[in-house]
Amino acid sequence: MPDSEQLAASFRDPSGFLFTRAGVLLRQVNRSYADEYTRLHESGLYDKLVKAGLLIPHVEADQPPAQAESAFRVIQPERVAFISYPYEWSFSQLKDAALATLSIQKRALKADMSLKDASAYNIQFVRGKATLIDTLSFGLYKEGQPWDAYRQFCQHFLAPLALMARVDVRLNQLLRIYIDGVPLDLASRLLPFSTRLDFGLLTHIHVHASAQTRYADADVKREAPKGQMTRNAFLGLIESLEGTVRKLEWKPAGTEWGNYYGITNYTDAAFEHKKQLVGEWAARVQPALAWDLGANNGVFSRQAAAAGAYTVAFDVDPAAVEQNYRQIKAEKEQTLLPLVLDLTNPSPALGWANRERDSFTQRGPADLILALAVIHHLAISNNVPLPQLADFFAEAGKRLIIEFVPKSDSQVKKLLATRLDIFPTYTLEGFEAAFAPRFRILEKINLRESERTLYFLEVR
Amino acid sequence: MNFSPLPYLDPGSGSFILQIVIASLLGLGIALRASWSRIKTLFGGKAKTEDQDDETKDA
Repeated sequence: MPDSEQLAASFRDPSGFLFTRAGVLLRQVNRSYADEYTRLHESGLYDKLVKAGLLIPHVEADQPPAQAESAFRVIQPERVAFISYPYEWSFSQLKDAALATLSIQKRALKADMSLKDASAYNIQFVRGKATLIDTLSFGLYKEGQPWDAYRQFCQHFLAPLALMARVDVRLNQLLRIYIDGVPLDLASRLLPFSTRLDFGLLTHIHVHASAQTRYADADVKREAPKGQMTRNAFLGLIESLEGTVRKLEWKPAGTEWGNYYGITNYTDAAFEHKKQLVGEWAARVQPALAWDLGANNGVFSRQAAAAGAYTVAFDVDPAAVEQNYRQIKAEKEQTLLPLVLDLTNPSPALGWANRERDSFTQRGPADLILALAVIHHLAISNNVPLPQLADFFAEAGKRLIIEFVPKSDSQVKKLLATRLDIFPTYTLEGFEAAFAPRFRILEKINLRESERTLYFLEVR
Repeated sequence: MNFSPLPYLDPGSGSFILQIVIASLLGLGIALRASWSRIKTLFGGKAKTEDQDDETKDA
């Protein structure tokens, strides 16, 4: 049998697992999941969900299973262009992922199926839309049965969304610490009193948290008193969650909407020149995957996307990412993914054995990296020596479009205004010398009406 | 009452008890809504199909 390797994150659910063989991603469906798998297809639910863009499509693969003794089928799911995690999503991305989960659950119910998990990690952005990627998430539904994933939904979606909307948008970072979602007692303590006046938040978070504490050691039989958990009751629960999520809103404060680039210091000519060069250079290498690091609201990411690249637009500012995501939705852009990322502390490898969620660099290398107007933030604000920056970029991507912002630039002057200049090598020559061991220069152009220089580099 | 196979994730005792209480309350609302829409249809109102409902609400 050809070599197959089980994916490290695919171990919890006994219904099957993901594995790769000769670079192809496959999913083994186990015999224990045969009934569910069959109903998913025969009920028409699979077709409906795929058509609505809510479920990742797959084909049955003519491949031997990785573990023959337990196998029912081997399927080949469409490969997601870039795997992202909820602690990298903006508010609306997490909200759309939550609503997609509930929409799937409502449709499943009509086919007498129910999601047996509601993990935010099962949702990925595919062609710009929140999509369930776990084909094995569907269980059989019989009236009277509760929603087994209720707690998980509240922890993975409702609690972080409420915290982001009602306390601070940065609290989605709690998901980086708590791999199975924000503990409800913690969410309940952090949320302001006013959230108790909202029926949905009161019940699904505050009372839910108290119930968890109160019945922590209770030996509960998994059965509802007869006639209580009816189909209507089940639907009522889902719709209540849906309404509660829908009501949560977050609008970036202190951000000039629609005029994000108004705060930059360069002229229109420099901006257009930069845009034109990025477009030309990206088109020349036709990257499959591009990463725009410090993407802001994605103006330059769109140049890479136009050259055919699936482009991930990273920015540290949740407001910029939110604005970018809303634009992607409005324009139905399919090859852009905006994510929140602090380059000075990028997403680490997380979860069991540190192997469930890949780090930022593990998800690379990208074919093309854009690092525009970002070097001074890393080299000066964060004190990273230039040779270390070169190492980082050389590991993250194969080609690099990078803008050098000199000390004479007003943005850099501002950074150095209140601190000691300990950066004698932060010059154009120093930059070239530091990057030379790792990169060769393909192009070097001074931006019009600007002191900045744009480089097109290739890893040696 | 018999349930189909036990879940592979622990639904949590508190979460389990609470959802049954909330759901049975909320279920009444759903049942009322269904009856109301039936009454409206009886008097010539337009029936809303559930599929439409899902589609328009999709994120």
